[in-house]
Amino acid sequence: MELIVALGLIAFKVALLIAILLLLPLPLTWLERKIAGRMQQRMGPMRVGWHGLLQPVADGIKLLTKEDHIPAEADRFLFKLAPILALTPPFVVFVAIPFGETVSVLGAEITLYVSNMNVALLFVFAVIGLEVYGVIFGGWAANSKYAVLGSLRTCAQMISYEIPMGFAVIGVVMLAQSMSLLEIVRAQADVWNVVYQPVGFFVFFVAGLAEAQRIPFDLAEAEGDLGAGFHTEYSGIRFAFFMVSEYAIVLLVSVLVVILFFGGWNGILVPLPPLLWFLLKVAFFVYLFIWFRFTFPRYRYDQLMAIGWKVLLPLSMANIIITGVALGAVAAP
Amino acid sequence: MSLARDRVGTWIGWAFFADLASALALTFGYMFSRSVTMQYPDKEKWLPYPRYRGHHFLTRDDEGEIKCVACELCARICPCDCIEVIPYEDDKGSRHPAKFEIDMARCLFCGLCEDACPADAIALGQQYEFSSFSSRDLVVGRDDLLGKPGKARTGGGVVAARLNTEQDVLVETSERRGYNWWRNIRRT
Repeated sequence: MELIVALGLIAFKVALLIAILLLLPLPLTWLERKIAGRMQQRMGPMRVGWHGLLQPVADGIKLLTKEDHIPAEADRFLFKLAPILALTPPFVVFVAIPFGETVSVLGAEITLYVSNMNVALLFVFAVIGLEVYGVIFGGWAANSKYAVLGSLRTCAQMISYEIPMGFAVIGVVMLAQSMSLLEIVRAQADVWNVVYQPVGFFVFFVAGLAEAQRIPFDLAEAEGDLGAGFHTEYSGIRFAFFMVSEYAIVLLVSVLVVILFFGGWNGILVPLPPLLWFLLKVAFFVYLFIWFRFTFPRYRYDQLMAIGWKVLLPLSMANIIITGVALGAVAAP
Repeated sequence: MSLARDRVGTWIGWAFFADLASALALTFGYMFSRSVTMQYPDKEKWLPYPRYRGHHFLTRDDEGEIKCVACELCARICPCDCIEVIPYEDDKGSRHPAKFEIDMARCLFCGLCEDACPADAIALGQQYEFSSFSSRDLVVGRDDLLGKPGKARTGGGVVAARLNTEQDVLVETSERRGYNWWRNIRRT
């Protein structure tokens, strides 16, 4: 009986998570267009609903009813598989992400995470790595030069930025002495990691921007020179899948930054509910992503590679060494 | 020395992304500036200036008689051949158009008819909201032309707009002086 209740609870949490992640791109696109408009002294969407609030719904209906076109020369199986492959990893990653400590609802203790893995961080990086497949397959299967170029760029970019990203969190793991995200947040109860690991945060955030393929690293879908990158040939609901996965990754990177470097649900100064603190911090980083997008131009491809390999990688390695030396000096009698 | 210090300062600024930060500050400032969008046709619209060339109109003289003498000069000068005039002679022996038709679908609003008219009978007015689903509706006859609004007297104002253009095309101006384009535009 307990097993059934536990399984039911997990199934409920997973369903809730999927629903939230699928619906969240709606307000996020609205927010992005609104912020873009305001920054460019426009108004953004205004006509559907109050201040265009229903615009994402209208866009969703439009995408659903549009022709789902598959190019004649495309590899049909891979073409259909790619959006699903791109959509799945960001959703899977959220299984390992904690949103808070245990809360008691109606007398029952409910944990605000699906599972507390002791190697959650490793799991997160392993699954994010799979994201590349959707992009490569999408670009390759479309049999179009823009798509192939876009997916080649994305592929090189994601693989080279995963390395500094992975190195950047090692400092955090050293501080928390654990790879469990829950333990990492608990270790930051007094001082947030960003105080000890500013370089780590910087490297992680920049690499995160590149992983999410946002400006200034959105080479993959540089609409000016590539059409739309790897999803040039996608339309309708398959295109929407790519879009949803993109927003899910933006959200994921924000959540990871908050958990790893900004104390997760630990608040400062103002006593707010932990979950609210967590959401506020995530919202700030999502805003930062949008803000960056409408401020910065795009890096050139060689600059992108140079930043990844010549700046971020040495920085993250130096960060590991310095953290190790400092920890050793503190631990030494 | 100062050059060296400047260089050091540049490097420090570069290392801490001073330029990126100033760019972010700029866009953040813009985010709270006023929008320059004019929400036509939902909320507001421009009133045309007197020089604006919109829908044609025919005028009457003081006795209420149509000014047009049906000389067909406008029809002759029209580069797209969209005016058709058929004259008749009334009881007093003066010439007037029995039929005066303008095909607005073909008109290019050059205003040559207005220049050519010897009787100041035809002119291009201020109305511009007359799009239609059928090009047949765009052939406008004499009596319709007589009823069209004349030239704008002030112009450049901004008034409340509505989607319905059938009635009340002429709305009272809320801002009679010329609208300042640059009013809301932030220039740094």
